[in-house]
Amino acid sequence: MKAFTFVRARSAEEAAKTLGDSKTGLLHSGGCDLLDRMKERVAEPDMLVSLCDAEGLSDIRLEEDGSIWVGARATLARLAEASLVQRFLPTLSEAAALAASPQLRHRATIGGNLAQHTRCGYYRHKSFPCLKRGGDSCPVRAEGGVQEMAGIFDNETCASAHPSSIAPVLGSLDAELVIRNADGRQAFVPSFESLWASPKKGRASDLALAAGDVIEAVRIPARDTKQFVGYAEIRQRKAFDWALVSCAVRYEMDADGKIAQASVWYGSVAPTPWRAGAAESALRGKACTDETARTAAEQALADATPLAGTTYKVQLAKVALKRALAAARERA
Amino acid sequence: MPRTVTYKVGLVGHDKHKQDVPAVEQDLTVEIHEMDAEPWGREDTFRHVGHEVPRVDGAVKATGAAKYTYDINRPGLLVAGLVYSPHAHADIVSVDAGKAQGMAGVVAVKTFARGSAKYPGKIVAAICAESEQVLADALEAVEVTYKVKPGPAVTEDAMKDDAVVVDPRRKTNVGQPRRGPLVRGKPDDAFEGAEVVVQATYRTPIQTHSCLEPHGCVCEIHADGTATVWASTQATSFFANQQLTSALGLPRNKVRVITQHMGGGFGSKFSALEWDVLCAEFARETKRPVRMMLSRRLEHLVGGNRPDSIQALRLAGSKDGTIAALQGEVWGTSGNSSGGGAGAANFGVYTLPHLSMLQHGVATFSAKGRAFRAPRHPQGFYALESIIERYAYAAGVDALAVRLKNDKHPIRQVQWRIGAERIGWGKNRRKQPGSDKGPVKRGVGCASGRWGAAGRHTVGRNQLVFDVVVDKEGGVAFQNGVQDIGTGTRTVIAIIAAEELGLQPGDIDVRIGDTTYPPGPGSGGSTTAPSIGAAVRNGALRVKESLAGLLALQWGVDEAQLSWKDGVCHGPGDKQASFRSACSLIGEDGLRVQGRRMRNFQSAYGETAGCQFAQVAVDTETGVITVENVVAVHDCGRIIDTMTARSQVNGGVIQGISYALYEEKQTDRNLGDMVNPTFDTYRILGMQDCPPIDVVLTSVVSGYNNTGMMGLGEPATVPTAGAIANAVYNAIGVQVTDLPMTPARVLEALERRQG
Ligand SMILES: Cc1cc2nc3c(=O)[nH]c(=O)nc-3n(C[C@H](O)[C@H](O)[C@H](O)COP(=O)(O)OP(=O)(O)OC[C@H]3O[C@@H](n4cnc5c(N)ncnc54)[C@H](O)[C@@H]3O)c2cc1C
Repeated sequence: MKAFTFVRARSAEEAAKTLGDSKTGLLHSGGCDLLDRMKERVAEPDMLVSLCDAEGLSDIRLEEDGSIWVGARATLARLAEASLVQRFLPTLSEAAALAASPQLRHRATIGGNLAQHTRCGYYRHKSFPCLKRGGDSCPVRAEGGVQEMAGIFDNETCASAHPSSIAPVLGSLDAELVIRNADGRQAFVPSFESLWASPKKGRASDLALAAGDVIEAVRIPARDTKQFVGYAEIRQRKAFDWALVSCAVRYEMDADGKIAQASVWYGSVAPTPWRAGAAESALRGKACTDETARTAAEQALADATPLAGTTYKVQLAKVALKRALAAARERA
Repeated sequence: MPRTVTYKVGLVGHDKHKQDVPAVEQDLTVEIHEMDAEPWGREDTFRHVGHEVPRVDGAVKATGAAKYTYDINRPGLLVAGLVYSPHAHADIVSVDAGKAQGMAGVVAVKTFARGSAKYPGKIVAAICAESEQVLADALEAVEVTYKVKPGPAVTEDAMKDDAVVVDPRRKTNVGQPRRGPLVRGKPDDAFEGAEVVVQATYRTPIQTHSCLEPHGCVCEIHADGTATVWASTQATSFFANQQLTSALGLPRNKVRVITQHMGGGFGSKFSALEWDVLCAEFARETKRPVRMMLSRRLEHLVGGNRPDSIQALRLAGSKDGTIAALQGEVWGTSGNSSGGGAGAANFGVYTLPHLSMLQHGVATFSAKGRAFRAPRHPQGFYALESIIERYAYAAGVDALAVRLKNDKHPIRQVQWRIGAERIGWGKNRRKQPGSDKGPVKRGVGCASGRWGAAGRHTVGRNQLVFDVVVDKEGGVAFQNGVQDIGTGTRTVIAIIAAEELGLQPGDIDVRIGDTTYPPGPGSGGSTTAPSIGAAVRNGALRVKESLAGLLALQWGVDEAQLSWKDGVCHGPGDKQASFRSACSLIGEDGLRVQGRRMRNFQSAYGETAGCQFAQVAVDTETGVITVENVVAVHDCGRIIDTMTARSQVNGGVIQGISYALYEEKQTDRNLGDMVNPTFDTYRILGMQDCPPIDVVLTSVVSGYNNTGMMGLGEPATVPTAGAIANAVYNAIGVQVTDLPMTPARVLEALERRQG
């Protein structure tokens, strides 16, 4: 990797300021994603601003208004094990417990997990051309490209897939991002959807944040009504691997036992975590039955644009949604 | 004077329940050399041999004290690395290393700016630097200009009529065997009149060796004009080849090669290779020790691989389950040298009266394949066992019955039955494949394996010998250059020596992995243990003879009156001496003898046998396969250590499952480069996906040498993929004809069945 200066920030505020003053500085948290990219020289920051010693960033706490605050440095292992998360956010705990491997889960943080870059082999090795790294087109899309891990939505310009299996859960829970700006202010990203940006030539990050922005925490809002939540993922290997497809759902029921409102999010199907609006509409006003699930799954994938090598993901995504809905029903 | 000995050989039993194996035995009469020990027969009993002995170097490995080549650090060590072409086919226009050369800490630079690069990983520059950090920056600073040319990187593209040819002297990339197809009997006629004919085309991927320790070495030239090379190699005795010694500028006898521990080779690490030679050149030029180990990416690209295969097979048989004929054509690439190494051993084990097999090596713009644990076998057996499975269903005969009927090996006949019982064939085999209710469907399958490795009495042109050094305190050292590549070589030596001398394995000082000692055999072809075992025994025997000589003098009796039993030497009357007390008669300078490996005997058990059974669960909605259980029944001649033998089988099965389900070198067909050269993208079976592996070791006294040992490292990985594929077929009712059986391929097969 290229030489860089290493700065330990004491707080998110300090981190944001330091970062703002740097030229090509990057945040460092668990390092699980970042160091891989630096070793391959896909990332060549002049400075790393580490959050490892920052105070108060790994809290997981119940706020007075009933919302849950998860500090950006909370590790996946803690998300999996913390009783607060297990009790109030079971799908988040499940997804965290299934991710990566025990060693990685003890290192990987939720902030870094959201900001991690795609695992696309073309993006991760400089010898390949890549749109995200400034190339003219995405070689994965070409006939003869290795497409197995590519996305099936929003893949016209870049066929990468966002690897986080935590993000779809947070999306389904309408999580809010608490951001610290370079000028020291705290800001909220009000909708999970607005956190993400589709791929563009030369832009590596999938977040719609400014360069100096630090994710300080994730806030999951409190709800008055009973929530039905389910998570399902399909992975080839149980450990040290990413899900091929992950899916998180949340819904509320009305007095007649019909779904009043639903939220459906996918991981690993598009360059960003993917909200399946069509499935949400299909669920609204229906009883949560197998039939409803089947229809919603068909709707969710109706607009998919799989490449020759990713047609299987369409099937996986349908199954994942059905299983997530079944899990939600079962839990209730 | 040769002696003639008659003794019992055959199946001794197996480690799970010794009582109820059928007697497979025979009297064997062999002529043996006067220097050779009386062979251990079927009925001999032992204190260590065949028991559970923990590996003697287990503790140093577990604690990290064991030094691998990568761990070698010398005063003033420099590190070296490589710049390589990422293109399948390109002309190297220029290599500008000026910037690198000028960097502080860069000690030496070499560039290779000529000619064309015909595989990704082709070296274009090498740099030697003071530290890994400087080296990485310097490698990055080298500017190479390529003129990229078209060139097929994968087999199917290289087979096309209009494909660019790798070797301009040839018209096509598809090689033709000089002798044409292998033909036996009258295959055409057999197909003509057959009751049942099945056909299918099977594909297997390129699998990289993925050694945890990459290739490489540390070279140091000493002030006295000798050199030491610490190498990650499977053969200390032939690592220092002519290229390496001339790069060092030294005659071979001044070059010492050391391999104390090795982090995986699987057939890919023998003689010094291109990068080792560069390392040696740097050591000579800089007059400092230099380490050059491949990066993970280069290891995947050029460290070696198992060639892929496309196997179009046709099998004919009758309705009663008798196989009549096999016909096939095979294509596979062993990289940019056309031919060499590709091919599939897809016609073994079963009686095939009529056979026609044509195999083509296909040249591609990719790096060479290398010998890989049972070369040509896992791919061949996967396809052979798959086509037999098809035939069994088509004929309506139980798949196990088909195997029992057409397999004449007496040991495997026993093994099939043991395996079937342990996997619960009667209960778990689905009579109607794919008949389970619900989305998750289970099934079982089986496949055969074979090997034959009785070892050798030579290393190159030399006889294989162990030096044995005994001192007056009773310390015993067995010395030979042979390396322990993780298989348990040290432990096997210690056990056999301890058995003969009446000591504990831990008492034996095993000094190996060093060319200071007599040349050791290369660890290939699963021949190491059977080669060295017999020499170790003879060495122990010579020690006992020498000690008996000393005791005879001491006691004033004739040497012929003395005999050893369980480590105690008995003389006339009730004279006796323990090994240790006998050693006290040795002089200050110690006792030195040699254990010589004699020729193999002639025996009936020319092949070791094996078979495996697997049970899988297939999620038919997602295509995800879970291997739930594997039963592996293997013979490796006489078992010396049940624990390390079991460990070899475990490793073979794990590598086999990984081959069946996950591993695949994925190449972009336009750019020609591998897109998954890392361990998170090149998937290998991990512990959480590893099923229970029920290893059954059928100990067979092979009669080939004085221990009865045969090899085991390779055969254990031969049947696995076939057994899993057949279990999947049994579970879902359709055959997945491509490895690895990824969710995408399983779903595709299921769709084919419905559609
Ligand atoms: C083998 C393997 C398997 C894996 N499997 C899974 C899986 O199943 N599911 C899954 O979800 N993930 C998986 N991962 C990914 C892993 O969870 C992420 O790499 C990890 O969560 C990243 O967190 P980190 O703290 O290490 O981030 P870092 O590597 O430190 O940082 C990652 C990126 O985020 C930025 N960053 C870090 N913190 C912040 C912050 N507070 N605000 C803004 N930007 C920030 C960094 O600048 C960097 O660009 C796997 C990883 C590996 C290696």
